[in-house]
Order: sequence, then C-alpha cells, then structure tokens
Amino acid sequence: MARKILCVAEKPAIARAVATHLSGGAFQTHAIRGNQYVKNYEFDFNFGGAWGTCSVTMTSVVGHLTGLDFDREYKGWMSCPPGALFEAPVQETVDKDKLPIADNIRNQAKYSKALFIWTDCDREGEHIGSEVRNQAKAGNARIEVKRAKFSNTESAHVRRAALEPVNLDEYQASAVAARIELDLRIGAAFTRLQTLQLQTVVAALKEKVISYGSCQFPTLGFVVDRYLRVQNFKPESFWGIKVILSREGKKVNFLWKRVHLFDRAVVTMMLERCLLAKQAKVTKVNQKPTSKWRPLPLTTVDLQMMGSRFLRLDSQTIMKVAEALYTKGFISYPRTETDQFDKGIDLKKLVEKQYPDNSWGQYARELIDGKFRTPRSGRHNDKAHPPIHPVIWVSPNQLNANEKKVYEFVVRRFLACCSDDAKGQSTDIEIQYGDEFFHANGLIVLERNYLDVYVYDKWESSQQLPNFERGELFEPTEANIFDGKTTAPNYLTEPELIGLMDANGIGTDATMAEHIAKIKEREYVAINQRGGGRSSVQEFIPTRLGVALVEGYDNVVEGLPNSVSLSKPFLRKEMELRMVEICSGTKTRQEVVQQSLDMYREVFIHTQRRINMLKTACRKYLVEETTS
Amino acid sequence: MTSPDQIAAQILSTKSLSVSQTWLNAFLSSSSTAQRNIPASALAKTAIFRLLASDIRESLSKHRSCVLPVDIHDPAVQEQRLQGAIPVQVLDIEDIGTSLWSQIEAIERVERGEAIRGREIVRTIAVGEDPEASENNRANNNSANGTANASGNSGYGPHRLILQDAAGTMVMGVEMQRIDGIALEKLAIGAKLLLRNPSVARGMVLLSPGSVTLLGGKIEALDKPWREGRKARLLEKTAGVERE
Repeated sequence: MARKILCVAEKPAIARAVATHLSGGAFQTHAIRGNQYVKNYEFDFNFGGAWGTCSVTMTSVVGHLTGLDFDREYKGWMSCPPGALFEAPVQETVDKDKLPIADNIRNQAKYSKALFIWTDCDREGEHIGSEVRNQAKAGNARIEVKRAKFSNTESAHVRRAALEPVNLDEYQASAVAARIELDLRIGAAFTRLQTLQLQTVVAALKEKVISYGSCQFPTLGFVVDRYLRVQNFKPESFWGIKVILSREGKKVNFLWKRVHLFDRAVVTMMLERCLLAKQAKVTKVNQKPTSKWRPLPLTTVDLQMMGSRFLRLDSQTIMKVAEALYTKGFISYPRTETDQFDKGIDLKKLVEKQYPDNSWGQYARELIDGKFRTPRSGRHNDKAHPPIHPVIWVSPNQLNANEKKVYEFVVRRFLACCSDDAKGQSTDIEIQYGDEFFHANGLIVLERNYLDVYVYDKWESSQQLPNFERGELFEPTEANIFDGKTTAPNYLTEPELIGLMDANGIGTDATMAEHIAKIKEREYVAINQRGGGRSSVQEFIPTRLGVALVEGYDNVVEGLPNSVSLSKPFLRKEMELRMVEICSGTKTRQEVVQQSLDMYREVFIHTQRRINMLKTACRKYLVEETTS
Repeated sequence: MTSPDQIAAQILSTKSLSVSQTWLNAFLSSSSTAQRNIPASALAKTAIFRLLASDIRESLSKHRSCVLPVDIHDPAVQEQRLQGAIPVQVLDIEDIGTSLWSQIEAIERVERGEAIRGREIVRTIAVGEDPEASENNRANNNSANGTANASGNSGYGPHRLILQDAAGTMVMGVEMQRIDGIALEKLAIGAKLLLRNPSVARGMVLLSPGSVTLLGGKIEALDKPWREGRKARLLEKTAGVERE
C-alpha cells in the first residue's frame, strides 16, 4: 500500500491554502461527488522523520459534520411534555447535507496510513477533529490519527505544523460535546415550554417560535436591564464650586475635589467659607513624568469591541472579515483570548514585513532602526493561539473595503504593541481655599511614540499651567457656584454589550457575535441610531417581547431563595466554568452534563409552576401596552 | 455600696457624658442586689452600655452647658463656635455626594441578591479603556459620576446628618472632613456623638475629626424602621425632584 496521508481542514479555503503551501503550488484538484465546495487536493510532501515523503490528499469538512438530536418519537412538539427533554434519548448523526463529505473522508481513509487533522486550533476545532476522526476510523480502523497545530496560514508556519504534529485534545472535544448536549436539551425544553404556553396568550405570538438559548437570554438581559435603567432614570440637580485664577495671561480653572454635591445649601455654605478665607494656599505642586501605555496585544474580544467602535462595523461582520483575512493567510487566527506574545515568536521579522506599506511602512522601519520595544504582556493565555497579528503585508488593492479596515486595524495595533509608550509631563496643582480643596491638571505630551501609528487613541497636551510654588498664597480671580443635572445612561452599544458579556462570562470570544446576532434575528432587540453623521452610534433597544420575557422570567424566580433568573448571567457563567474544568481534565463530560442539567431543571420546574408570571408579562407588554 | 454619684462621675470622666439623675436612679433600682455589690467601674460600664442604647432625651442631663443653643438654626449667623462637649444622637444620615437614583439602584442590586459573592453582575464597562493603564493614569476622582459602587455600599459622602441633643433640639450636621465611622452602613440611627467646641455656619454644625467623637450605640426602635424605609424615602425624594 502506498504511504498516503489524508489531511482534513475545517473549511475548503484552509484546505486549499495548506495544500498550496505544502505542495509549493503543484497540486491536482479533484471534485468530490455531492458537494460543490469541498475539493480533494493531491500532491506529495516530505513529512520527515519516520514518515518521509508521502502522497497527500488534502480535503476538508464544512464546519461540524454531525448534529445531535432527539430520537424520532421526541421530535414532534406535542410528542412529550417539554420537561421530558432533559432526559430524552439523543443521537448523534451526520447531517444530511454533510453525508457526501463524510463519505469522502471514509473513502479516502481506506487508502491512507494516517489521518492528519487540520481543523482550527480551538475547542470547536478539536470537536470537529474528533468527528473527522470517527469517520476516518469507520473507513479504516487502523488509521493513525495526528493533529497539526497552527495559528495562521503563512507558508513557513504551515510547513512547520506539518512536520511537528501533536495529538487531538480529547478534553476539549468532550467539552464541546457537553456544550452541544446542554444547548440542545435546555434550549429545546424551554423553547417548547414558553412557545406552547405563550402562543395561547397573545394573538401576535400565535405563529411564532419563541426560542430560548442559555446565552441569548442573559445577552437579552443586559439590553433590557440598561433599557429599564434609562427609562426609569430620574434626573437630579447638583451644585459645585469652581475657582478661576488669571495669571500670566492664562486662565486656570480649578476643579473641586468633591466634584459636586446634591445639597445646594451645603454648597453655598462651603463657598461662603472659601470666600471668607480670601486667600487660597497652594498645597501641592506635583510635576512628574507620565505616560500613556501602548495597547496590549489584540484579543478577539478587543478586536470586536474596538472594531465596532472605530471601524463602524458590527461584531459579526468584523469576525467574518477577520476570518477571511486569516483564511487568505494575511493575519493570524482571529479567535484568541491570549494577550501576551510568546517569547519564541520573532516579532521584528513580522514588523519588517510591513516595510512596503505607504501609510505605516516608514513607521515599521523606524521601529526596527531602534525604536522597537517588547510588547506588554496581559494576563490571559489560552495556550492555543498568539494574539491577533499580521502575518504578511498585503497591498491594499488586494482587499475589499471592510477587509482593508480590519487589516489596517490589526497592523496598526500590532505595530503599536511593539512601540514605546507615549511620554509626557503632568503637572498637578492642589490648592486649599477655606476648608475646601481644588486641583488643576496640566499635561504636555513630549513623545507621541505609539500614538503616531495607533490613530485610534487620543492623548493631547492640555493648556499649559502658569508657575505655582508650594505654600504660596493667592487670591482667586473668581469663585462661583455652578449647577447641573445628572443624566440618564445611554442605551447599550455593541462594544459595551460585548464587554459586559465578556466580564460576566457569557459565551466565548468566538460565539459572542453570534449571540448578539441571534437576539436581533429573534426580534428580542432592535437597533436604534443615536445621533447622525460620523458620530452616530448604534444602540440596542429591546422589543416589547424582549422586555416581557425578561420581566416574566425575573418574576418567576422572585422571592424564591437561591434561584436565579434565566435573564441573569450566573447559570450560564457556571456552565462555562464547568466547560473549562472538562478542558483541564478535572471533570468528565457526564458529570458536567448532569450537574448543569440539574441546575436548569430546577428553574424549569419553577417556570412551569409559575408560568402565569410569564403570561402576565406578555399580556402586559404585548396586549395592554399596545392598545392603550 | 456604690453611690449614684460615683457612677455619674465615672461616666463623666470616661465618656464626658452628664447623666440624668432620674435615669441613673431608675437604672440603679432596676439592677439586682447582686449587681449592686459589684465594683463601681463595672456597674458604670453597664450603665454606659444602656446609655448608648437609650434616647438621650431621657438619659442625659439637659443642663445648659451640655445642650445646643436653641437659636442654633439661625441661617443669618455666618459662623459661631459652641463651647464645651455636647452629646447628640443621630436621627438621620444621608450621602449628599451620591445621587439619590444611584443609591436606589445600589439598594436594588442588593435586593436582587447581586451583592452575594459570585452573583455580582458587571453592568458598566469603560469601552476602550485598558484596565491596567487606566489605573496608572486615573486621577483620584472616584465620585465623578455620582455613582455608588456595586456592592451596595454607599459612596464616599460627604454625609449630612440630623442630630438631636438631650433637650430635643435638632440640627443638621455636615461632614466637612472625612470621619471614620460615619457611613450609611456603619452609623446606626440613635448612635451617640460628642461634639467638642464645634463651629456652626448658617445653622449647620460642621463636623470634622477634631470636633466629633463617635461614642457608638443605636436606638433599635428607630434604626430598624429607618433602614427598612430607606428605599421608599429615596424614591419619594426623587419624585419630589421631578416636580421642581
């Protein structure tokens, strides 16, 4: 038998990129029967070591091969009480449209000595890898299974990954399997329960599926929570004291240490005591070098947050574009939690690759000519991928408009990481006037450094302060009361929502954008444009149904000890933490599935018992409010 | 046997409190014979403990030297300085550095169980702020937005207090400088303070570490309803603000 190796990537484009790099461009392409996207690429490659030169078939899947579903007798919505879905038997089967792909893998495996898995190196990728392995083993039980570890599709990197294969991470694959089972059971049980129950209440919901997802609901919860905070907000008046001194032709504004207070009589009394003192005394003059730190290496969450803020793209679009840039080999894998560069990575070489660029090539050159600094290290390392960085330079005319934006951001961020902090001189003056303290701050930016390339950050010199000496007395030119009103917070924006999901442990960096898209698609939230022109911002506003569901679920658990609403992040957060435990090998898939099902089953029972709370909320927002 | 005078002298010397004769007699006659044989210092300690839980209008002397002047509220008086040590009890405490609304939101977070460890919810995110870098660059401006922090604790004040002396005169006190122990969670209603030669400006007593000694204590019958009714009072006040 020929020494043949079967390689399988997660997507056709990656298969093609890897084939191109391993073969040096000399490969034959064969179509497969039944799927127009997946191709088999054939070529020879020297894997070195025991394997040596082998003939290779490089193919791919298209995401997950299999799906999990209930046995047929549980599929109908009326087939069983929704609560039965927590225990109903489930089966993993190859999706119908993926059958030709699975056939192809089984067939190819028959003639192969080894299977080499090239799925993306993250949890989802390990699971897809395990699906591929199962098919290959079905075709050839003795096939040896290896996995390529890579984080970008740049040529040298891909070739090295081919020479240094590792084993599939079974823990990560199990964590995904657990998540898939939990999402199916919990999602189906609650979706059926709430859909069947609420359809009967409101005519508007009659034909609608009211889907539930354990990430979607807390995501919706954040939007509703902020919406209600804005709606319920009551403005209040406050008062403060401002002190002005004109000196050396400059007008210095001193800010009150107390900022402002919510009692006019007290502020008036305090101002009077300042005025009685006549003279203010300089209590502190602090001149010190200050710096604005260069950004941390780029993670997925940061890319989505910064991207939706500066590039005017929503997080899902950003991820799609980043994915395309990765597939084409321009940037590293865009799903990563790591904000520290590994010591082994040759950053200078990556900087040098940017020399040809018209906008930042010169800057890159200056870095290598002496201004290069080792990037700061953040606290996160997912041990799978480096921070997102450019792999090669791309001419702008090879990119479409969105790709250009995202690529530029990734490059500028990377160059900023390898630059020095911006340096400046800050001056803080503190004065005591009567019993009160005030301060004025001045900033002179001395060296812009990273700011020159990272155009998204702003740090500018303030007005220059006149000279003050510690202990000197002066009579302020003016001291007045000012007043103002507190203002409501704004509705939630996409970068904020991503930040909240991340901070509260909802979803993984890879799935957040999907959850946000989901609640839009389900019509639980709508997008509102605040402001106009370039400063306009997109805000999330919940629909009536969105508010009703959150209020309903909050009411379901109201007053129950130790029970938490599905609109809150805790249950999902605990589930995510248990996934991490599977990955580290401290818990098994079975344990985690049972524990998490138990948690959700408890809420499910409460929901069933107090379903009227949900119905009432829907009636309140979808019937009464629309008619009144 | 310990004489009432001995006890009174003891309380005066340790706490600078002039106890009311009637209250002291009642206290002594209520204590058992066994207790009467214990040393004066121990008995005085019990008396002080009871005193701190009592209403000072009943338990302390109303002598001119230890009560507030009756015209203390006069807003026409720019500044006056009171002489001596005047005991007062706290009837109300409010944080005037934090908006009522954010205090209500903080209470609601506690009501929803979000102050419990592991159940906290992060609700605001400074987008585009590097958390480490901003620690480095941040000015010491913690109450800039008038928001109370997530644990449901109050902000940083300053606090406005309503104080009452032994004669029943009430006056507003303003925490001009931070005083340890004056905070919504720490200071009970009915807690006793000793004002030492305090300044009074426009009818408000100026409180600072130099002019206030915290004696502690609490009047249970006032404290409990005060805490239970706090949210309702804040809500009522915000409604009032709207009407203005």
